[in-house]
Amino acid sequence: MPSEIDAPTYTETTWFCCGTAWGPCGSTGRGACGTCNSGSLQCAWPNTSDACFDITRPDRCGDTALRRTCGHTFYITSRCNGNRVTVRIADCGPQTDLWCGERTCCSGLCATNRLMDLTPAAFSRIGSLSTGRLPVRVSSEGF
Amino acid sequence: MSSNGTRFDSMNNPLDRRRFLGRAVLGGSAAVVGATALGSLAPEAAFAAPAAQRPDGPVREPDLTKPDPDFAEGRIMSVGGSMLMVAGSDRTLHRIHVTAATSVWKLRPTTFDQAAVGDGLYARGVRLGDGTLAADALWLNIVNLVVHISSIGKDVIHFDHNGSRVIGHVVAGTTAAVYNDTPAVSDLSLLRVGSHAQVIGAWRPDTNEVDLATVYAAA
Repeated sequence: MPSEIDAPTYTETTWFCCGTAWGPCGSTGRGACGTCNSGSLQCAWPNTSDACFDITRPDRCGDTALRRTCGHTFYITSRCNGNRVTVRIADCGPQTDLWCGERTCCSGLCATNRLMDLTPAAFSRIGSLSTGRLPVRVSSEGF
Repeated sequence: MSSNGTRFDSMNNPLDRRRFLGRAVLGGSAAVVGATALGSLAPEAAFAAPAAQRPDGPVREPDLTKPDPDFAEGRIMSVGGSMLMVAGSDRTLHRIHVTAATSVWKLRPTTFDQAAVGDGLYARGVRLGDGTLAADALWLNIVNLVVHISSIGKDVIHFDHNGSRVIGHVVAGTTAAVYNDTPAVSDLSLLRVGSHAQVIGAWRPDTNEVDLATVYAAA
């Protein structure tokens, strides 16, 4: 079981759609928490339950991700521009172990591995959806 | 400081930003010209600088139990002048103002005249007092898919996305690949059948096909 340290983490984030949606997103559903909606300030986290962790496996990338369950609040800060968004967990994800070692940087400020997925509403508060990935700081304690 | 920096510095306060976009929507040509000078049509550039973080004035924290009021998603029902009527997937009706300062993406940074009825849309902006959304940015038909590559052709890549087939079209001069943390390149030869990838692309409405913007993959 992963880690004990509850400190701010630097990680990659990308975005995902959920809830009622158009196009390929139309089949995604409400997520593991049953509340996920692309238009809400929400996120997916890779350790919302044992079953979730068994899929996402951040430990395979050497990452620690504390158990955080549906509704937990995270404070996200972009390393590219300092923009911030507050989100709540609404789904399990991303599948961290698919992307072990992947790194994203902005002007020399980097983050490695994917521990955070944001809804389009949340991601677009801190960056352009067309960017696809961002390095961010994640905290449970505020900005 | 760049013009983008100027734009966002001048709107660090969300109230200033709301007034600015409100004027751009309501104030006619002078406001729009001003918006053009301050804004950018490229979403990446528009987001390169810090946005509204309210250094003074009241903090307007969003209600996390409700949809973000400054965001909209759905499909375009009509385009009239600079106004989009959008049917949200949750059946909400959105009226979205587009100004010369609005950045527009449709496979690539583009202009508002590329918006078409039936396009899927995400929009971020500022909700005005009359309920309309003054858009900072529009993303038309954008999708972000985690897929497995099932076959690779000359100009087409077939993907498996959650058990459904998605056809990805390679667009010359636009489609790029990012391998691990390398810069984007036009060379797609390192993509491998059976491997996973993340695809940013533009959906072709009412099909299972997308035009590929960026494919993120492990080399």
